Amino acid sequence: MNAFAANLNAFYAVVRRDFHIYLSYRTRLVSQILTSIFSLTLFYYVSRLVRVEGFTTPDRYFGFVVVGIALVGVLYSCFAVSETIRQELVAGTFERLLLSPFGGVRGAVATAIFPLAYAFVLSSITLGLGVAIFGLELHWPTVPLALPTLVLALLAFLPFGLIFTALTIATKQANVGASWIIALLSIVGGLYFPIALLPGWAQLAAEVQPFTPATELLRHFLVDAPMETSVGLALLKIVGFAEVLVPLSLYALYHAIRFGQRRGTIIEY
Amino acid sequence: MSGVLIRSEVEPAPPVSGPMQPMPLSLRGVSKAWDKGRIPVLDRVELDIDVGDRVRIAGRNGVGKTTLMRIAAGLIDPDRGQATVWGASAAERPEHYQRLVSFLPAGDRGLYARLSVRRQLDFWARIAMVPRGEVSARVEEAIEIFNLGELADRRVDRMSMGQRQRLRIAMTFMPHPDVVLLDEPLTSLDGEGAQILYAAIERLLDKGGALLWCSPAGERLDYGFDRTYMLDEGRLVSA
Repeated sequence: MNAFAANLNAFYAVVRRDFHIYLSYRTRLVSQILTSIFSLTLFYYVSRLVRVEGFTTPDRYFGFVVVGIALVGVLYSCFAVSETIRQELVAGTFERLLLSPFGGVRGAVATAIFPLAYAFVLSSITLGLGVAIFGLELHWPTVPLALPTLVLALLAFLPFGLIFTALTIATKQANVGASWIIALLSIVGGLYFPIALLPGWAQLAAEVQPFTPATELLRHFLVDAPMETSVGLALLKIVGFAEVLVPLSLYALYHAIRFGQRRGTIIEY
Repeated sequence: MSGVLIRSEVEPAPPVSGPMQPMPLSLRGVSKAWDKGRIPVLDRVELDIDVGDRVRIAGRNGVGKTTLMRIAAGLIDPDRGQATVWGASAAERPEHYQRLVSFLPAGDRGLYARLSVRRQLDFWARIAMVPRGEVSARVEEAIEIFNLGELADRRVDRMSMGQRQRLRIAMTFMPHPDVVLLDEPLTSLDGEGAQILYAAIERLLDKGGALLWCSPAGERLDYGFDRTYMLDEGRLVSA
């Protein structure tokens, strides 16, 4: 078996492991769908109650915010890997990954795959519920373009989770800050309301992370929201962030593990 | 001699500056201190384990046996010196190293509580880079050898400590490593489980493997070792 096939098999094993662990919690999907329904209901009536600047109709704002709600789940899933690895440190299963030929870096990256795939499914369900229950109008001709855009966006988002994983491995407690970062990114990324409503300094923050162009593009493809910039420029930004952040995060992860191995703290939790 | 290993009088002295031929497992001048500036828990340890060797390290609690095993497993780095398997070090060739060595850590950790025995073994076989076509056969082989048949579809969090230990041992031997490192392997095992473990060790040695076992001093064992060392004040001494 060549190295590529062996690695693919190991990645598959990690995803399957996470899938089976997920299946062992039988009520998780139901509770998450209920959470989506509550969020959709809340924002459906907010869209009816409040007139938001820049939106011609309540339905336009509702479409805008539904895509944001769907992406918040994706955002959380990117950071889920650091919490999972923290649990694995406690359970001693990360030690098993380190003691395997697959190793800690590939093990951590593989651990990120299932939460991302699951977040994609949940996001699709959220959009589906928006259509079925609240009459959300998707822009079907461009909906298929959202899939490759999301995959590209995940490449740009995932490094944030991997960097937090590196911090978790190095300090055993870095995940505390993840919820702050998610909250901050959901604001400056324009997930719930337009960035134009934010003060100037916050609008600057919106320009230096990949969530803003990704959210804008996905909204454009899913609900035909107007773009602030061109599609090409937004794509270029996402690719640029991915190109810089992916190697940086893998470097951080590798060195966090090696730091722990040199100091002997890799076995601590 | 710069090394500090003191072997029994009847044994030949170990090589000082590294073996001429690569050994299944060699520790050369391995030192480790948990607090910098303090007395090291391991102090220039030297050890060679050859094909077919059964070697035991004993010692008081907290003397550094597990630290030694973790270094030999490539889990943590020594401050000085190095561990090699067939001449390869974990720091330089981690993937290769981990294909050759399998380590059973002490305790009952390292299992996914909500996975069944079969899924756990399947996961570990794939992570251990067992060829894809052999995964199922290896899993079933491990289930049979370690007498896990009745437990194969049971979740780990519904198993006793002894059953979990048998699963952990099965995971250790399943990849067919050259060197097996066992840290207190008899923990929670009953007599039948111990006999299964001894049989697995014999199969490993028959195939040209090597064993390093560590357990507390004073533990009663009905298994014979080729060599036993005591770890004391960071040094290995022949028992």
